[in-house]
Amino acid sequence: MKVFLAALVFAAIAAVGVSMFLNTIQQPSSVAFTTGGARVGDPGNNLIGPS
Amino acid sequence: MVKVLCAALALLFVLAHPAAAQLSFKPTAESVHEDQLLNALKEGDKITGRISIPDAMAASLIQPAGRDWRDFHRGKLPIIGGIAIIGMFALLTIFLMVRGRVRIRDGFSGRKILRFASFERFTHWLTASCFIVLALSGLNISFGRILILPLFGPEAFATMSAYAKLAHDYLAFPFMLGLVIMLVIWIKDNIPGKLDLQWLKQGGGILFKGQHPPARRFNAGQKGIFWIVIIGGALMSVSGWFLLFPYLPGNVTALQVWTVIHAVIAMLFIAVMLAHIYIGTIGMEGAFDAMGTGEVDLNWAREHHSLWVQEEQAKGHAPSGTAPRAMPAE
Repeated sequence: MKVFLAALVFAAIAAVGVSMFLNTIQQPSSVAFTTGGARVGDPGNNLIGPS
Repeated sequence: MVKVLCAALALLFVLAHPAAAQLSFKPTAESVHEDQLLNALKEGDKITGRISIPDAMAASLIQPAGRDWRDFHRGKLPIIGGIAIIGMFALLTIFLMVRGRVRIRDGFSGRKILRFASFERFTHWLTASCFIVLALSGLNISFGRILILPLFGPEAFATMSAYAKLAHDYLAFPFMLGLVIMLVIWIKDNIPGKLDLQWLKQGGGILFKGQHPPARRFNAGQKGIFWIVIIGGALMSVSGWFLLFPYLPGNVTALQVWTVIHAVIAMLFIAVMLAHIYIGTIGMEGAFDAMGTGEVDLNWAREHHSLWVQEEQAKGHAPSGTAPRAMPAE
């Protein structure tokens, strides 16, 4: 049982760790694809976002 | 007053020139219809445009192959998945009804032998727990709209699906780690050999009641599961990597091919794992202990892995001698 729980905890920690790592090395599309001549709408504030 | 006059003149103009009015209000009436346009495009054709953002894939405006891809995901894939998963459930149910639970012929001996060390069980449960979440969240993509949406409503379904998608994306990484560790620690015991042919010819001693064929640490059935997990997992990992980072395949068509591979392998993978879960739990007496506590009953080990028991006894890792026959419980 301890081994099973340890595996679950490790999986959760690894998943959170990967998400944090990917968020630090990747940019949101609104930043990555914006140039001096074109601005990409910020998700959440455009027509298809939640707000 | 001026506004009213202008409006009256405009109305007069419209009434006096119906053709002009038609053109004003239906500018696309004489243009090419979307259906005509899409039908004129051949397989592999694309309509592309010029874009000013550094995203080359955004230049694909219309890709007719995308309709086939969408039809596959909404039509054929749920059928393939349904047949594979429901078919496996049905097969296992019939097998249980006809064959019954695979019992330990000589009963429990009460003496144990270590089957899997802690790290091996940790790796198994790491991969298995991630797989279950990945499978359920993946099935939600194919079947959620049909099965879950009507039960919980759109808001709850949308929220659940959003979290399921996050879990799917990030638990994929510990799942891939588990696959790599399993490959490293178990490959030496999973190389196919002549003994496996003998095991298969006798149905593993499971299909037909009788003597179990000899096997080392892993029998042919377990080796089959191992290689399905490794090869299937590798295909899922590569295709999933392309879905996680969709700019890697290079174009939309390649991305669609990878999603089809990911989805089809996933359905088959889930069906095979159902059989694995069945035989490791209700299908075979004493089998779950191997991944539960790590120790299995000596009689179970002798029946299913007789050569492995001899090897462990020779190393002094297992109790030797003939195990006593189990006594019925009071």
